Amino acid sequence: MPNLPLAGIRIADFSWVGAGPITTKFFSDFGADVIRIESGTRMDPVRVTPPFKDGKPGPDRSGYYADRNTNKRSITLNLKNSRGVELARSIISRSDVVVNNFSPGTMDRFGLGYRDVQSFKADIIYLSMSMQGESGPHHQFIGFGLTIGALAGLQYLSGPPDRPPVGSSTNYSDHVPNPCHGAFAVLAALRHRRRTGEGQFIDLAQTEPTMAVLGPALMEYTVNGRVQERQGNDHPRVAPHGVYPCRGEDRWIAIVAMDDLQWASLADALGHSEWLHDERWATSAGRCADRGGVDMALAAETSRRDADETLQLLQRSGVPAGVLRDARDLVERDPQLAHRGHWIRLDHPQMGTTVYNAPPYRFTRLCATPTRHAPLLGEHTNEVLSGLLGLSADEIASLARQGVLK
Amino acid sequence: MFSQRSIPSIRQTDAVAGIRVLDAAGPAGSYCGKLFADMGADVILVEPPGGHALRREFPFIDDVEDPERSIPFAYYHTSKRGISLELDRSEGQELFRCLARTANLVIETEMPGVMNSRGLSPANLARTAPHLVVTSITPFGQTGPYSRFLGEDLTALAMGGFLYISGYPDMAPTRLHGNQAFLTASMFSAVASMVAVMDAEQSGQGEHIDVSIQEAVAMALENSVPFYDLEGHVRKRTGLTQRYTGAGLFPCSDGYVYVFVGGLAAIRFWDGFVQWMKEERVEGASRLDGPQWHNRAFRDTEQARTIFAEVFAPFALLRKQMDLYLAAQARRIPMSPVSTGEAVANNPQLQARGFFVDVGHPAADRTLRMPGAPYLLSRTPWHIQRPAPRLGEHNEEVFAEIGLSPAELATLQRKKVI
Repeated sequence: MPNLPLAGIRIADFSWVGAGPITTKFFSDFGADVIRIESGTRMDPVRVTPPFKDGKPGPDRSGYYADRNTNKRSITLNLKNSRGVELARSIISRSDVVVNNFSPGTMDRFGLGYRDVQSFKADIIYLSMSMQGESGPHHQFIGFGLTIGALAGLQYLSGPPDRPPVGSSTNYSDHVPNPCHGAFAVLAALRHRRRTGEGQFIDLAQTEPTMAVLGPALMEYTVNGRVQERQGNDHPRVAPHGVYPCRGEDRWIAIVAMDDLQWASLADALGHSEWLHDERWATSAGRCADRGGVDMALAAETSRRDADETLQLLQRSGVPAGVLRDARDLVERDPQLAHRGHWIRLDHPQMGTTVYNAPPYRFTRLCATPTRHAPLLGEHTNEVLSGLLGLSADEIASLARQGVLK
Repeated sequence: MFSQRSIPSIRQTDAVAGIRVLDAAGPAGSYCGKLFADMGADVILVEPPGGHALRREFPFIDDVEDPERSIPFAYYHTSKRGISLELDRSEGQELFRCLARTANLVIETEMPGVMNSRGLSPANLARTAPHLVVTSITPFGQTGPYSRFLGEDLTALAMGGFLYISGYPDMAPTRLHGNQAFLTASMFSAVASMVAVMDAEQSGQGEHIDVSIQEAVAMALENSVPFYDLEGHVRKRTGLTQRYTGAGLFPCSDGYVYVFVGGLAAIRFWDGFVQWMKEERVEGASRLDGPQWHNRAFRDTEQARTIFAEVFAPFALLRKQMDLYLAAQARRIPMSPVSTGEAVANNPQLQARGFFVDVGHPAADRTLRMPGAPYLLSRTPWHIQRPAPRLGEHNEEVFAEIGLSPAELATLQRKKVI
């Protein structure tokens, strides 16, 4: 039997789109029973966002949804119906944690706010992940991962210095800072409850964890009074530190020589010992001063070479290098990810066998590998209502007739 | 502001009170330890006698280059106690083993095999500390064809697939700012470590967690891999092209704004946006009207993006960032300013929430304003226990706790073990 450390924990998951479901995925993959409470009429938009299996749209065909919802159950409830809210309360009363990422006040309007829940489940751990937090003049403001990156400073800081801030073009905050901080906070709260019996409310503003991982850049202003500007791939004290073209179309390698020793190894490995005779390039400071020249010489050499061969050559010589892997490389050509078993394949009733991420950690004893495909919309409605809430088939049929389960 | 007691404050209101962490990690693991420390754990930073790598990292407080004035060091090591310990010497290794017996968690970032050669492998430590969780963060993991490969933040972003999709298409891809590969690894490590520590507290059984930075980065790729797997499409970097029609960066009179009224769930904000443009009498606003804008096939065309830009860009260009932001949000339209560090520091929402905190930094004899709580827990609030330690600041205190006498400490110091 796999050793699932969070087996026995149940999460009533009202969240949708990005940061919320990715937070609860940590828990479901560790064995918690995560019940996604969805709506068939106001569907999680990610269910209908590409990519779709074979390009054909459908609420149970999105890979974007699938990857972040492994090992979860899905039920559909109409929270605008008072019976629907009652059922949600029954699920919550059998849960340890409530998660939502609506605007402040939304859960209260359903009668499912923290105070409501506390009245029947005093020790609940209640995580709210609104855009800018529960308090403050902008607490009703709305956004998405990319606007978070803009507001938090990440966009301004990322990209070449002489062009507009290009940022990451991904919803980074949704995929890393927010879910990781959300999961860490809930775990800490679970530990506190274990020791004291107390639940609590967690207010996570989706803008703030991203700022927390930009600490030094923001402190360049708050401490030194200077705005940190974009640096492209440059490092203030290291050169070379960049991305260089390789043979083929749009192939690149990242190369870093942290010190003079790595620089010497780099020059030797690429057959350019003459670089070592260039006085200007003898020290890190000198190479930084002539960064353009170093980069040009290096690019001229790498562009004649194959990216993966150069990776092997440089790494054997003790030089940090990394090929810019694209999605196909990652899935099909990276022997390390294959060795780690990073890509797992799960069978899904509508999508067939498709690729999912495994978490980035391996254990000796515990288990966190996804084993169940993302749920179909409402796949577990009957199972949860009968198994968890003890409703009979007749009761469930009657609820369905009344439009409570849509 | 800070506890002056020699034993770290164990408060009922600290969620992770009583957890001791030995943070022997380099920059790839520092934030993992900080997450525990700022929630109330007793995190002991174990530095080599020459000092932690972050002590040499820019920027420096008041631009004075000094190992006690690195801003990254001061930020990523808040709330930790600090000791210096030479782990390449047998006396240092023995002390580390003694400390590990008192700890719940060790975080380390040495290349695979290094801790083993010091007699400090997880198996080795488990002999005297069976409950101990060891989290090892390496560029590619403990085993496998790349396990001996070196990794820096930039190369890890590359190998994890993130760098390829970042930047302008007409030039080399560019990275996210600020060691985000290392931070991503730290964040995932913190979650896994907390789960394992909580499990060990109940089961008495420790764990070795093997974290790959490359793999952690691969978690940040969004829809990139499903797109290849399901539709055979390899996602590339797109520069400033609108991510979806109506989602992108636009210049305004004093900076940039990021608008997001297309794609994902955002299409429900489209009509409100068009209404706004009409009320502002923006030229061509009615071009954004009509049923075709709710048709994904049309919205995905170059033509749709062009029309959006032709209407919105001239309007935005004449207006100030904050005016656009507040006007859009008043109408519940998703938009943000593209903030500089200065704008973040002066953001009224963050000020109202008390996001930035002032932390005394005795080594520079001044206060440092830094990002504070990334989450507000009602019963067990995040809080800074103390400023980042000076090199070896808590040697006496920590080694006394495992029973070393002042004379023994002096000997170790003479031998440069601490």
